[in-house]
Amino acid sequence: MAGSVQRAVLIIVVGATLGLVVNAVSPKRAPWIAPPKVEAPPSDFIPLADAKALWQSGVFFLDARAPADYANGHIANSFNLPAEEFEPHYPQIASMLTTDMNIVAYCDGLECDLSHELTAKLRQLGYGKVKILQNGWTVWTNAAYATTKGDQP
Amino acid sequence: MKKFNLILRLIIGGWFLYFGLAKIVTTKPVGPWQMPVLGAVGPVHIPQMELESPALFAKSIQNFRMVPRETTNVMAMTMSWIEVVAGLMLMVGLWKRPSALVIAFLLAIFLVAIGQAVYRDLNINCGCAGTTDGRKVGAVALIEDGLGFLAALWLAFWYKD
Repeated sequence: MAGSVQRAVLIIVVGATLGLVVNAVSPKRAPWIAPPKVEAPPSDFIPLADAKALWQSGVFFLDARAPADYANGHIANSFNLPAEEFEPHYPQIASMLTTDMNIVAYCDGLECDLSHELTAKLRQLGYGKVKILQNGWTVWTNAAYATTKGDQP
Repeated sequence: MKKFNLILRLIIGGWFLYFGLAKIVTTKPVGPWQMPVLGAVGPVHIPQMELESPALFAKSIQNFRMVPRETTNVMAMTMSWIEVVAGLMLMVGLWKRPSALVIAFLLAIFLVAIGQAVYRDLNINCGCAGTTDGRKVGAVALIEDGLGFLAALWLAFWYKD
């Protein structure tokens, strides 16, 4: 058993080393230390009921998650503007946005700050009416509200 | 028994290999290209695999609120590859007991993570197969990982060729 434990440790070391090396050479490398959470002020958040009312009135919803997550399921009629791929995706969305329109951003997860990042970037561009539905995908699906799949709204 | 152990190795090893790869690579549709499809020419997207950013899996780890946020990137970088290496080795039959030990160790961690998330009523995705994993933390995830843990323990401690 001692031999198995030693080899198990070696497997862990080899796997971990591979992971660190691949990250170092990857075009999507992540920093070793995760950056602090992008905090949005409490006034940016809206409860689910308010978000639902805004959705029914036709307000623009933006999904801040990665395209693969969006395609796997998103709030119906929402558009994908990944917070971490903002520059390549923004031009496709910009023509549909105006700085005076209401926008709701969401992602998924209690600790997810992608919607916060997206909101901050939009604010920098002059979009002053952006709200956040925290843990949006989860609370929306739990409430069995309209969702869809694919890379289109 | 030999056949049973082989099937178990392939299932558990394959499961971990898949879960690890799902967090490391993603597919991106490239195109469209005009290609013949069912007798007509139409636009076709070809899925292209590319490396995914560990930062995305790190967010899934952060959702569990178990470890300091600063450590989650390194955890995300390393955990996925450990899953791949251990899963692959178990499948091909190389260092069977040690690779099963590693898988049992990882599943023990996952069980603790999911268990405490359920206890604290955290409404989050498991994140086990990357950010597209639709598995919520709950009884089903606990049962699946619990069975996997028992199978890995069997392979680690009682496995005989």
